[in-house]
Amino acid sequence: MSKPSSFSLRGRKALVAIKDERDATIVRRQFERLGIDIAIWEPSWEPGANIDCRPDVTLIDDEFLPLTSAAQRAALGRSPVIALLGTETPSRLKLVLDLDPASFLVKPLRSAGIYAALVLAFERSERTNELKQQVLKLEQRLRSRRIVLAAVLQVMHTHALAEPAAFALIRRSAMEQRKTIEELSAEITAKGSLPRAAG
Amino acid sequence: MTKPSIPVGIICSQHGPYQAMGREILKSAMMAVDEINEQDEFDFAISAHIRDPRGIISEYHTVCDDLIRNVGVEHIIGCYTSASRKQVLPIVERTDRLLWYPARYEGFECSDNVIYVGASPNHNVLPLVRYVLDNLSREIFCVGSNYVWTWETNRVTRELVTAARGKILAERLLELGESAVAHIVDEIVRRRPPVVFNTLVGSSSYDFIRAFHAATSAAGLDIPMLSCSLCEPELKIAGPASAGCITSSAYFESIRLPENQAFVARWKARHGDHSSPSVDGQSAYVAVYLLARALQRAGTSDIGEVRRAAAGHRYNSPQGPVWIDGSNNHCVLTPRLAVSNAEGQFDIFWEAEAPVKPDPYLTQLDIAASPARDATLPNAPHLRVVK
Repeated sequence: MSKPSSFSLRGRKALVAIKDERDATIVRRQFERLGIDIAIWEPSWEPGANIDCRPDVTLIDDEFLPLTSAAQRAALGRSPVIALLGTETPSRLKLVLDLDPASFLVKPLRSAGIYAALVLAFERSERTNELKQQVLKLEQRLRSRRIVLAAVLQVMHTHALAEPAAFALIRRSAMEQRKTIEELSAEITAKGSLPRAAG
Repeated sequence: MTKPSIPVGIICSQHGPYQAMGREILKSAMMAVDEINEQDEFDFAISAHIRDPRGIISEYHTVCDDLIRNVGVEHIIGCYTSASRKQVLPIVERTDRLLWYPARYEGFECSDNVIYVGASPNHNVLPLVRYVLDNLSREIFCVGSNYVWTWETNRVTRELVTAARGKILAERLLELGESAVAHIVDEIVRRRPPVVFNTLVGSSSYDFIRAFHAATSAAGLDIPMLSCSLCEPELKIAGPASAGCITSSAYFESIRLPENQAFVARWKARHGDHSSPSVDGQSAYVAVYLLARALQRAGTSDIGEVRRAAAGHRYNSPQGPVWIDGSNNHCVLTPRLAVSNAEGQFDIFWEAEAPVKPDPYLTQLDIAASPARDATLPNAPHLRVVK
């Protein structure tokens, strides 16, 4: 399935926490134009509340900060956050930074800027998730380097090979057996020798 | 008895690269003002305060500020390019005035202080590109002026064409007012694309059309040209070379409606038999009438009251029925496609069966579902052939 375009917002869900009614009205009207469904941040979401909401994006007024409960923080952690800034003072910005916002809007709100903030938030979130996946993959490979090194030493010893040739042999065997170098290295260290290819 | 007068600002460039369209907008707006001032239906007269920013972008801010601060207008009609509208927008929002913007534009804006009278992107770009994909080619060569209208039109075109497994062959941009078009025309003759989409504006477009026609004729090529903005006065400026351009617009002089025939007759009586109204001029005329009718119903020039009075009110204009969609301040209107002829007119070959809701953010456009027309535009009208 192809990922949704960050430019097309129809059908997305937004959790909205805005104190000022005028700002809230502007957001509601603009979201209606864009085809975005709104869930309102409930005052009952106090410490310990079980928040059952899966938004695609959250707009949060800096007047709600700092968040007092783990449930509130967890609700925000489920989607990219757009912070609504009333002031640019460092103390307020520090609270906003704790939310790791994907985008921001400056109050008082106007219709201009909301679409751009949403698109930037979705795109930023998408790219951040891709980077996180990439980091996870690299960390995994980093951890397995130790096993690969052990396997290379094993093959150097058992086959009387220099390090480059031992590594080349492991790589070729992994390709023949359709395994990753890390998987084959784990087998070598477990069995004490280079496993033969099946068939 | 003299009727009380309501000051209205009119901002349109009478000089500079798009002076031709600015003059058309002014002529049409003033025709509407004069008509309204003579009609008993209105218990007020409009006092027009005209400003000419001369096509200089920073001047739009200056003249708008002057109209609001020194003349005290609450309503302003005008601006042509999006860049000029963006100059005026912060002032009208800050001072809570209402700009009645007549030109078709690229969308992705929705200010409470603007009434968008011209076509939205779902009215002009979508029908044109879909017609091309269905009937002409899935490969398009784009040439346009280097500003937001072209950028966004090309973006939508690229997404539609790509979804239909087609290809944008090239995207060539010229600065506003640039007349050096030979290198692009040479490239077109060399590469022989199936169609050329022209989003140039003003004098650049006329220069390109003439050079394109001369070069393709000399090479024995028959390459259709597409446009979302070309209009009758521009056909006259560009000359016979402009014949054969497939154009998407809400208004053509050739619309066979009694309201349009009466409008064209009044226009020619005022400006001469050889002159023609234009889409953006006619839209300025519509804007003045929508404003006047809203002022009459509201009984005040207060912009909140006027905006409420204007929303949803149907006006049988020269282009057909139009009304303002109160949810986004854009106009509901009828898209049409036509091809320009050697007489400087357009032969209409499609029009929407009914007026189409504006979709400024293209929220109803599901590009991933293209090219199936029904799935891509739920609000799309059934198109019918106009004979």
